[in-house]
Amino acid sequence: MKHPDPPYWADRFLRWYCNPKFLEEIEGDIYELFDRRVESKGQRTAKIKFIWDVLRFFRWSNIKKSNSKYSTMKGTLLFKNYLKLGIRNIRKNLVTSSINIFGLAIAIAFAITTFIFVDMQLNMDKFHSKGDRIYQITNFMDQDGEDRRWGDSPLLLGPKIAADHPTVESFARIEYTSANVKAGADVFDELVTFVDPTFLEMFDYPMIYGNQQVLYDKNKMVLSKEMAIKYFRNDDPIGKELSIKFSNGTIKRFTVGAVLDEFPYNAGLRESLCIPIENFFDVTDEQNYDWSYLTDATFILMKEGESITSIADSYPEYIELQHGSNPEWNIKSFDPMPLYELSLRSWEMVGSVSGGGHPGGRIALMVISAFLLGMACFNFMNISVVSATKRLKEIALRKVMGGIKKQIVNQFLIENTLQCLFALVFGTLVAYFLLIPGFDYLVPQMELEMRSSEPESMVIFFVALLLGVGLISGAYPAFYISRFEPIAIFRGNQKFGSKNLFSKIMLGLQFFLAVITIVGSFIISDQFMYLSDKDWGYDPTGSFSVYVNGQEQNEQMRNEMISNPMVQTYAASNYLIGRGIPLRSLEYDNRQIRVRLIGVSEDYFETFQLRLKDGRFLTDQALDQQSGVVVNEKFVREMGWEEDPINKTFVYDSVRRTVVGVIHDFHYYDFYSDIDPLIIHGLGESRVRYFSMRTNGEDVFELEQDAKTAWQKVAPNDPFDRVFQEDAFDNFYADNSTNITIMMVITGIAILLACLGLYGLLSFNVQGKLKEFSVRKVLGATPKTLAKVASKQYSIIILISFILGAPLGVLSMQQLIDSIFSENQKGLSAGPFIISIALILITMIITVTGQVRKAIKINPAEVLRNE
Amino acid sequence: MKGTNLGELEELIMLTVGSLFDEAYGVAVMDELLEKTGRNLNISAVHAVLRRLEEKGLLSSRMGGSTNSRGGRRKRLFTLTKAGKEVLDQTIAIRTSLYNSIPDLTFNFSI
Repeated sequence: MKHPDPPYWADRFLRWYCNPKFLEEIEGDIYELFDRRVESKGQRTAKIKFIWDVLRFFRWSNIKKSNSKYSTMKGTLLFKNYLKLGIRNIRKNLVTSSINIFGLAIAIAFAITTFIFVDMQLNMDKFHSKGDRIYQITNFMDQDGEDRRWGDSPLLLGPKIAADHPTVESFARIEYTSANVKAGADVFDELVTFVDPTFLEMFDYPMIYGNQQVLYDKNKMVLSKEMAIKYFRNDDPIGKELSIKFSNGTIKRFTVGAVLDEFPYNAGLRESLCIPIENFFDVTDEQNYDWSYLTDATFILMKEGESITSIADSYPEYIELQHGSNPEWNIKSFDPMPLYELSLRSWEMVGSVSGGGHPGGRIALMVISAFLLGMACFNFMNISVVSATKRLKEIALRKVMGGIKKQIVNQFLIENTLQCLFALVFGTLVAYFLLIPGFDYLVPQMELEMRSSEPESMVIFFVALLLGVGLISGAYPAFYISRFEPIAIFRGNQKFGSKNLFSKIMLGLQFFLAVITIVGSFIISDQFMYLSDKDWGYDPTGSFSVYVNGQEQNEQMRNEMISNPMVQTYAASNYLIGRGIPLRSLEYDNRQIRVRLIGVSEDYFETFQLRLKDGRFLTDQALDQQSGVVVNEKFVREMGWEEDPINKTFVYDSVRRTVVGVIHDFHYYDFYSDIDPLIIHGLGESRVRYFSMRTNGEDVFELEQDAKTAWQKVAPNDPFDRVFQEDAFDNFYADNSTNITIMMVITGIAILLACLGLYGLLSFNVQGKLKEFSVRKVLGATPKTLAKVASKQYSIIILISFILGAPLGVLSMQQLIDSIFSENQKGLSAGPFIISIALILITMIITVTGQVRKAIKINPAEVLRNE
Repeated sequence: MKGTNLGELEELIMLTVGSLFDEAYGVAVMDELLEKTGRNLNISAVHAVLRRLEEKGLLSSRMGGSTNSRGGRRKRLFTLTKAGKEVLDQTIAIRTSLYNSIPDLTFNFSI
């Protein structure tokens, strides 16, 4: 009968951990027990007990600790040796090592920048100490059968929640209004924020002066540092007065009660001029103070340990209250959004009070930097493996002299980590001095700097980067090389290097990633460039508008300007194209339709050169001004009036409106947003805000001077606020060109990395094949043939990676474009492909040429001579 | 002084080692304890105590000869040192003297 053995792996485990001094007795005893148990209790129990014993012996006193003096000394000695050799190797192969280090450093620099960027976005608003208990009450409203999340909430919601629920500590509302602020002789047009007095208690903004209770005084105001400097320059702002003129004409005086310090970089919510919300009720009509009025944001602070779900039961009641007073805007449901998620998710919301971008950019950056790091790692692996060919004899000798496999592995890992360390240092410098300032220059509003939310996370990131990159790129070469038999190396039998399938796959992968990145960024750049040339749907050149406050100023301004020979046409309107036209809801046929409304006077269409499609423009005649409307194509489609839209009617604001004309769709905002259905109605009773003029393109700046002089006569106490229509889209163009620049930088890095890899590999390859080239040359090969031989295998690899990579790049980029631009897509064209193929080919040829020339120019006599 | 106070398990194991004389190794001690006191210890616990007592200088050990059982592995055999014997004597003496000083009354009390 075969004697049963205890479980093999348990025994291995024991031998692995156990201090060799005790191994024999321990193993002996548990083997004895095992044998005995097999007899008495059967194999199964014996095995289980054996495992149990092994586990029980796993205690500190039995565990192998390599604390003998001898082994430490040997370790450090070898370690020193590895370091020294590592540095010597870097110096010896300076070119390839620098390629390795440089490539990796660039990728690391990009990764660091991405890290800082993402870290900042993920840690928005985290400095508010009560932030984990703060929620914004958002709500869903149904529009065109589509639920949209709105940041606005009923004005009375906050007080009601706080009164109904003892679990709520406090609430704070935010209500924006634009008003004129007069400081000394200067008048500024500002966004003024009404807030509840609790606002400063709830959010922890650092303050230079004042306390958190200051807003309980109705006549106090809080300024940001930036605003305080703007109004008072170097004077002490405390106790100074400012007067604010609100849109209904009321003028109120406020004393500066507190000044906020510069906002922390991760402040998503930045209110620069706050006054107590009490004042809001003074300057607005009484009827607004009910459930129908939606304020811009309601925040509530839960008591410690209380869950936000405790207020959920009351939502139906609030919804009912809201429906009762405002039947047009029906809130379907409330949903609290935690403060910490606010800026991450602000894109989900209409009318968010917090900054924050679409996550697409963040994800794209992370993917790209992972790609770049991947490419650099492949590069590194490849060159490490190939460069080891030169050191085979060293490895063999180490083995002969008693070096074990593990030591060789360690040696290569240490050397690679050393190179990574250099790359990390260099990459950090590049990020610090080049990439981050560059990024900051391109996107100044980001305030990007070398920093992280917590110092530990940055340290962890760096260590992870070093170890990750060092291990990933060093592991394969280390394990691969350490396997070689010394005898094979010394006899010269070790096949290695040029024919290596692995390095080809690596190069392929590298180009594969490069192609994805390059094709992708060309496609998106193509899209951006398309947008920058796209027609706005009207002609902004030569249009120029002045902000006026009401009909009276408008008329005075008109009288001043009417005689000016440069003015070709002029018009008045309540909103301005390019500066935001409010969204309203229109009920038609039992459907809610989202429309934008703008009220204009007769020559508006002329002034902006809007294009008529059907019917006629509005005139100043009474009937037109009362009930005539001109709509855009989108509106016609939305209403289902494609057949004959003219003279169709609908009711808005309890007036029956008649469509007199249809204009072509035009972009009243930017290309990111879709064009909504638009109604242009007569100005009628609505408040005039803009007086617009049209002149020749060249005269527009001269006209501005005249208008300014006129304005000073009309309203010396109000700011002269003018808009060149061409500038209205400036932000968009600036964004757009920033995007193009970033994409170009990424493309550049990707190409650089790919070419560095190719260059490194090729130079080794040519080096190793010098004899072959010499023989070929002696036998009469032409330079052309030599070039072909040297680069043939790489062309195939690159071709394959292009065929695989290009469609993937297209696919992924198309998804990104789809998520950002639901309309206004350029669509695919051959352009990006041709450009990227050309780019890759050209850089490849440049890379290859130098090496191939080396192959062509060799002197066979020198290479083939055998001393 | 370190080593002069014995824990209860330490004392038992020292007694066992003493009684097994020259055949005291892990499994044997464990078996003997089970037989004499009914205490079922894990072998690892026995090893830990034996090693601790050796560090205190109360036991000494040597490797035994190789055997055919246990896969040819040798046993570590423990014996009492002179110090160990003294400590044991002391402990027992203290116990006996304390025990003897218990008045008879105490025994009657519980009946």
